[in-house]
Amino acid sequence: MRFLLVLFAMVTACAQDGATQADWPHYGGTQFSWRYSALDQINTGNVKNLVPVWQFQTGDYAENLQATPIVVQGVMYLITPRIQVFALDAATGHLLWQYKYPTPRPGKPGGMTFVQNRGVAVSGGKVFFGTTDNFLVALDQKTGAEQWKVSVDDPRQCGCDITAAPLIVKDKVIVGGNGGDAAHRGYLTAFYTKTGRFAWRWYVIPGPGEKGHETWKGDSWKLGGGAPWMTGSFDPELNLVYWGTGNASGDFNDEDRLVEGAKGKEANLYTASVVALDADTGKLRWYHQEVPDDLWDFDSAYECVLLDHAINGQMRKLLVHMNKSGVTFVLDRVTGEFIGAFSMPEVQTWISGITEDGKLVGRREPQAGQVVSTCPSATGAKSWNSMAYSPRTGYVYAPINEVCNDLTSTPADAVEGRFHADGGFTLKLPPDRKTYSHLDAWDPITRKRVWSMPYRYILLASVLATAGDLVFTGNPEGDFFALDARSGNKLWSYQTGAGNRGSAVSYSVGGRQFIATPTGWQQAITGAQLAPLFPDQNWRAGSTLIVFALPEAAK
Amino acid sequence: MKRAFLLLVIPVLGWSQSAGEKVFAQSCATGYCHGARGTPAGAPRLAGRGFDQAYITNTIMRGLSGTAMPAFGSSLSRADLTAVIGYVASLNGIANPVINLGPGGPGAAGSAGTALSAEGERGRALFFDAVRGFGRCSTCHEVNGIGISVTTPITKIPADAEALRALATPDIRTATFDGEAMPALIVSQAKTRALFYDLTSPPPVLRTVDPGALKLAEGSGWRHASVIGAYNDAELTSVLAYLREAIK
Repeated sequence: MRFLLVLFAMVTACAQDGATQADWPHYGGTQFSWRYSALDQINTGNVKNLVPVWQFQTGDYAENLQATPIVVQGVMYLITPRIQVFALDAATGHLLWQYKYPTPRPGKPGGMTFVQNRGVAVSGGKVFFGTTDNFLVALDQKTGAEQWKVSVDDPRQCGCDITAAPLIVKDKVIVGGNGGDAAHRGYLTAFYTKTGRFAWRWYVIPGPGEKGHETWKGDSWKLGGGAPWMTGSFDPELNLVYWGTGNASGDFNDEDRLVEGAKGKEANLYTASVVALDADTGKLRWYHQEVPDDLWDFDSAYECVLLDHAINGQMRKLLVHMNKSGVTFVLDRVTGEFIGAFSMPEVQTWISGITEDGKLVGRREPQAGQVVSTCPSATGAKSWNSMAYSPRTGYVYAPINEVCNDLTSTPADAVEGRFHADGGFTLKLPPDRKTYSHLDAWDPITRKRVWSMPYRYILLASVLATAGDLVFTGNPEGDFFALDARSGNKLWSYQTGAGNRGSAVSYSVGGRQFIATPTGWQQAITGAQLAPLFPDQNWRAGSTLIVFALPEAAK
Repeated sequence: MKRAFLLLVIPVLGWSQSAGEKVFAQSCATGYCHGARGTPAGAPRLAGRGFDQAYITNTIMRGLSGTAMPAFGSSLSRADLTAVIGYVASLNGIANPVINLGPGGPGAAGSAGTALSAEGERGRALFFDAVRGFGRCSTCHEVNGIGISVTTPITKIPADAEALRALATPDIRTATFDGEAMPALIVSQAKTRALFYDLTSPPPVLRTVDPGALKLAEGSGWRHASVIGAYNDAELTSVLAYLREAIK
């Protein structure tokens, strides 16, 4: 095995490039999910001159704007939570076409619909997106006319919906769904981009006869959660698709899902894990479970950052992944081998630590009939909003929230498609702090924090890194800002007028570099839950995309 | 097919504050949703909003389209619905709520209000069996509000498993589009666009094409038998028993 690894390392001694160029073609920038642009026209020296050049109001103000815009050959594709899709001239903001998805059927029985949409995918002349009523839809990239539409599952039965941007992998479009807090068996589904026909499905929870099935008690596998509800990554050289999976359901109580004697071991596979699947067949190649027997709603459904770096003198193909607890794992993405882990939050009480081989120790678990306080909270040290990676600095950049919660654990029967958290959480702030979040730069190889920018409230927007050695993100007060990627010094800031919790991108048209960010605070779910912790806050709703560039004369 | 409305008007002497509070705590003040006793949390405040009874009942029964508020009408028991609706009414100063739950009843994928026989219940579970993925009946058929209504509602129920396999499907034609022939169920044909379900493999894909680029021929090689292979004869017999009880 070791020999093979060495051999492989030699073959791929050249690091693969996950940077975007003129386009921003995929949700995570490229399929490597770096959220890093190779453009450097805007840099540490001139970012102070950055000005807004156009903006686009979606008119869809009820929720917010979380989507990552996709930019292909000078056209930007943007989606709103109520599923309006816009094609815009990326240089001017001029509307080229728009599409409105019909209002979905009424709410589903006892489940919970997340009215969000985090982006479209674009490939082969089509624009793809998922819907709140669980369809995957393809539009004509030139006209916005519907091409095909397929039901992934009936939300009235499964209690699930799609908020993630789909991932394009060769001739397929792969989409994950929500339902991790509902009694539902999570899965990823791949369809052919051309026809919409079914290609493969991978169930997070193995069925009878499959390896890992034995980690589920009785029939709990049928409704055990694990929904991979965000967007994965793809390594074309290895032909592997990487995805993070959601928490087991019920979230806060394991009575009905944990096999006797399994406490402290791998459990409820493959929930709260990172998995590698064969891109053509959807077959599992390897997995790494991050939170065995998850009892804190610590989804691991988030971005898999694929980067290559030398470890002990050998170039390795790595995967960096953080789950909601803020614990960040570094794995070999060829084999799934554990390489290292580090925890980004400063206040961590749910475990006492992680062993050298990645095992959680000193677990502080919710208990039925008691209130157990833990940090971070179920809203996450970080949730779906993505980190960024810069190959120039070698650092990953992530916003981390310092919020705790009181957990209750109340076992209840799982009913298909119904909310099945088996308890709840009440958020609270950790004592003796004046700031409750920070944007960090970490070296994932040395596992050291390089710099940290503290912030008084919380940070819920994704991060963008660029070859201009800049890091961009925004805060709920509406400031969208740029930091020096090496020092963390703030170099520029712009008040966008509404809270930021979207995902900024960079692209260029006709040789001019643009930075685009969605704005508008979320009025439901996580954003609304965190807001009452700060009585003096005034985080404003909205749904506007704002695009910045250097003044024409200065570029 | 329209079902007679069964209106249940309950003059609610029966709802108790404590029962309603309990249902509210279990189903509403949980996880990412409302706070305890109608305080704001992930979802908005419900206490003291001035909601009227009809709005409260309707919202709890049917949910709010386009929001995270689900429909509880088919997932909670009538007793629990009455209790929780009465409780939310009390939070809005309605002392003696008159609760009209309307038609429908418990059992999400369920019945027309009457209990199913043991075999009917077995058939119901099979019809909607998620373990069978796109091989389940509800991939193409909607019964009592669950399932994807690709075809027209089921009205005639075949006598047995053999008849179910041999079902005549004259509506399915052969579409040729983009150089490929495929079994197709036409949804609509207008001057500028044609919509059809591509039945090449489950699940059906609703495709929108330029009518000029579409050629249609009567008949197809598609057979109902080819998409119900996830079920054996005994299972299909139970499914048919369910349909006979559920579709009146």
